Amino acid sequence: MPRTLTLRAGTAGIASFSLFALAACGGGDEEASAWILTGGGWPAIEEDLERFNEDREAEIDVEALENDAYKQQIRTAVGSGDAPTMIMSWTGGALLEYVEQDRIIPLDGNTGELDDRVYESVWQNGVVDDSVYAVPLNDVQPVVMYYNQEVLDEHDLSLPETWSDVEDIIDALGDVEDVDAFSLAGGSVWPAFMWLAYLTDRHGGEEVFQAVVEGEEGAWDHESIIWALETMQDLGDAGFIRDYNAVDAGQNEDAQLLADGRAAFLLQGSWVYATINQDFPEFADSGNFGFTEFPVLEEGAGDPSNIVGNPANFWSVSADATEQEQEVAFDYISEHLYNDQAVDEMLEAGSLPPLNDIGDRIEGSEAEEFLSFADELVGSANHFQLSWDQAISPSEEQAFGDNVAAILQGNMTPQEFVDSMNSQ
Amino acid sequence: MPHAASTESRIPTAGTALDPKQPDGGVVGLPRPAARRPQGRKTGEKPNILAGTLGWVWLAVIILPIYYIVITSFRTSQDLRANNQLIPSSQPTIAPFIRVIENDFFHFFFNSVVVTASTVAVVLALSLMAAYYIVRSTSFGGTRLFQLILLGIAIPVQATIIPVYYLIRQLGLYDTLWALILPQIAFAIPLSVLIIVNFVRDIPNELFESMRVDGAGEWKILWSLVLPMAKPALMTVGIYQALQVWNGFLFPLVLTQSRDVRVLPLSLWEYQGQFGIDVPATLAAVVLSAVPLFIAYVVGRRYIVAGLTAGFSK
Amino acid sequence: MTTIASHIVNAQGKVNGKRRQGPTFLMALPAVLFFGLFALVPLGGVLAISFMEWNILGSPSWVGTDNWDTVINDRPFTWRALTLTLIFVVGSYLFQAPIALLLGVFMAGQQKYRAFLSVLYFLPLLFSSVAVGLTFQSLLSPYYGISAALPFDWLPSDWLSNSDIVMYVMIFVVGWCFIPFHALLYQAGVRQIPADMYEAATIDGAGRVRQFFSITLPQLRYTIITSSTLMLVGSLTYFDLIFVLTGGQPQNAVRILPLDMYITGFSANNLGHASVIAVILVAIGLTMSLLLNKFSGSTKMESDKAGA
Repeated sequence: MPRTLTLRAGTAGIASFSLFALAACGGGDEEASAWILTGGGWPAIEEDLERFNEDREAEIDVEALENDAYKQQIRTAVGSGDAPTMIMSWTGGALLEYVEQDRIIPLDGNTGELDDRVYESVWQNGVVDDSVYAVPLNDVQPVVMYYNQEVLDEHDLSLPETWSDVEDIIDALGDVEDVDAFSLAGGSVWPAFMWLAYLTDRHGGEEVFQAVVEGEEGAWDHESIIWALETMQDLGDAGFIRDYNAVDAGQNEDAQLLADGRAAFLLQGSWVYATINQDFPEFADSGNFGFTEFPVLEEGAGDPSNIVGNPANFWSVSADATEQEQEVAFDYISEHLYNDQAVDEMLEAGSLPPLNDIGDRIEGSEAEEFLSFADELVGSANHFQLSWDQAISPSEEQAFGDNVAAILQGNMTPQEFVDSMNSQ
Repeated sequence: MPHAASTESRIPTAGTALDPKQPDGGVVGLPRPAARRPQGRKTGEKPNILAGTLGWVWLAVIILPIYYIVITSFRTSQDLRANNQLIPSSQPTIAPFIRVIENDFFHFFFNSVVVTASTVAVVLALSLMAAYYIVRSTSFGGTRLFQLILLGIAIPVQATIIPVYYLIRQLGLYDTLWALILPQIAFAIPLSVLIIVNFVRDIPNELFESMRVDGAGEWKILWSLVLPMAKPALMTVGIYQALQVWNGFLFPLVLTQSRDVRVLPLSLWEYQGQFGIDVPATLAAVVLSAVPLFIAYVVGRRYIVAGLTAGFSK
Repeated sequence: MTTIASHIVNAQGKVNGKRRQGPTFLMALPAVLFFGLFALVPLGGVLAISFMEWNILGSPSWVGTDNWDTVINDRPFTWRALTLTLIFVVGSYLFQAPIALLLGVFMAGQQKYRAFLSVLYFLPLLFSSVAVGLTFQSLLSPYYGISAALPFDWLPSDWLSNSDIVMYVMIFVVGWCFIPFHALLYQAGVRQIPADMYEAATIDGAGRVRQFFSITLPQLRYTIITSSTLMLVGSLTYFDLIFVLTGGQPQNAVRILPLDMYITGFSANNLGHASVIAVILVAIGLTMSLLLNKFSGSTKMESDKAGA
């Protein structure tokens, strides 16, 4: 049976080949390590870490993981004491847990001049019980309102400064076929967190959600949160784009709907600026692509300068690392992080480091208009609200997402929502 | 029927090619391999129009998503949704493929081949041996073992992933290809044994007896009788498990971490950032990883079908 | 299973009980070791964790039967997930089995166009769930997918966001992936049916449909059992595509048990509850494979005769 023989020989060949390949990949030795994400500005962060290694003859072993893979692995790794030396987080509930479980160490005294350079509203996110446990490592990501000027012109609309302007716009577009006020990727759910956060903040101020974060009894059941949820459901009837629950943000459908003129506005993170420039260059270059702040709620108690979003990603240092490894991490944080070259690269890429000393460098950069707008927004913000899903405890995150989805789908009343969240 | 007649006339060649080693041909004593086919034999009837139509309809169902994958892999991210997604780009580009290849595609591909081939080879060998033991063992151990193995069929992989993670850590295998191969072998064994047992127990007892009379030992019997007879089962199991391992992403996700040992399904996630996905590059990687498999299938198709067919009749 | 296992022993015992000795246990030892170490030990771990409270980050603490009590008595969703799982398993089977069977028979034909089609039918097997998920996400998008591309107004546009249809969509997409494999099995099965059976039937004047039911189906008995086992067990523990494509949304309408377990364990970080769900899942799967085996075992003697 020549056929069988060939097959067998082939299998044997592959098998011995595989033994060779397996032998080739060894285990790790004593060196500091850092896990980062893939895509976006992360390759630049990786290069920056490599440069640090070359300059200092240090050894920080960098591993890039996809977002979901990272979230899955970091928790298991930290929990089993095998965390990388430098632990990246979005701060919020996860950071609190790390601190409570003594998985990370305070960085006080080891952050160089960062304390003075980083915007206070951003810096505070890494502070737990008056100690610094995490420092920002990349760009600040406020949520802003993008718009399509062509749509506004066509329907004789102007930028909304207040919430009643928003209501007028929704009314004006109510009868227009195939154009709605707001693009929203409800299928991905998380873009709706931004609406909830902004509406609640404008209505009741930052204290409302702060009470939730601090775990106050019944904190979810607040009139501002209920109002925000009701408003979102009203927007679902008129305001949000048709079939918003099937629009996917991962594939940038929400941005495309704005670029295509199917929606006048899009509330999204600052990273969408780069996405639109890259994926929809015609729209970006047409002069119709604009960005502005979230409107003011006339009767609201919130400070109109408040913003929401991701203050940045942050570095923490693992308590399970050796002292030697921790020293390397301190070195990187205090002396290398946000060095001139890294900052310039971020600005070139159209992303904004949360630093108060880079105003003059923004001038003349390619994305000057957007960066100045974002810098102004962040610099003058009274409070920078971390995304709710990150801010709450990781064990509540799933229920929160499910419940927001139910609100979007009209399957839950706002009261049911807050009751459910209170019972978590 | 001109159509049927012409089909009929080609059949001997096609039939021989399709079943190079016709095991049951001799048993049933067919002069023309073609006559075995229910469809080919109906020379006096009309072609089966209904079946033909439904066949083409199913083709449409199958092809549409694949057509989308292929045309999208040649797009720039700018015209991803510029127009109708089902119309190919007017300016196709191979840039996504270059992105993928520059991003160590072949390394990941190699890892996947190593993991899949090693896993399937070991699974087939171990399952065949175990199935042989279960069927032929005279002690009660065979029954017990079979009960135990059946338990394993229902274990969902995701359920045990955390204990598996700690186990792999303890063994010092975390972030190696072994971490993917060893547990996947274990989880593939129950189903494989079940299917192979169903085949092996149909081998007539007389065949075992006559081999014994000839003085053959257990290993000889396994090699010269059980193995050839169980070939269709091994083929079924082999293809099924190979696809499972090739496409599986939960084990790689949890048990590996560095690029050195990354396999293809996990590498697809690389084109997914924190907020978005590089769709053309992901689909280009998908096309690249499917092409060699497809060629292998087209070349080996006749053997696969023959292998699945062989050994049934005794 | 007991039936079948004892059946084997009986058959052998009767025919040649006196002097035959079976293969040594060494034959089965490697499989047992692998299975024991990497499947049974972790399964024991899961059972243990089901009695603990653990969020992965901290240390696990013993809580007795609290998790079981909560998951079974105070968590209405457990029962909904069970129902959804049942719908998914039965729905997948009803969708996949007939199409795979018919396709297999179709592919077994020797017409040239059928050989050509068979090659193309195989294609879906080549794509991993991440790829298939991404593709269908795009195709089912209300604004940029097929509903927008095709000029049919009656096509729904909210495939993935309408909780009334998303289950059927998932059954379809999962079937799209797995039908080719089962069709391949049936193709091989049909190819080995002796042609003289059909010839005799034709002489007796039996038509196509009649032949299908009186010859093809009974002759495919074994293939049907194998394929059904794979389909049912496979869809009971199926996870990848549903996770990639929907994450259980909308309204958790496709959050079947495996997905529910994963979400509870890794998104909500409640490993204790997740492990209870896992154990329930194992119990259901075990029952199912016992039943299937009993079924296949009872047909054994008959098929022996027919096949010989």
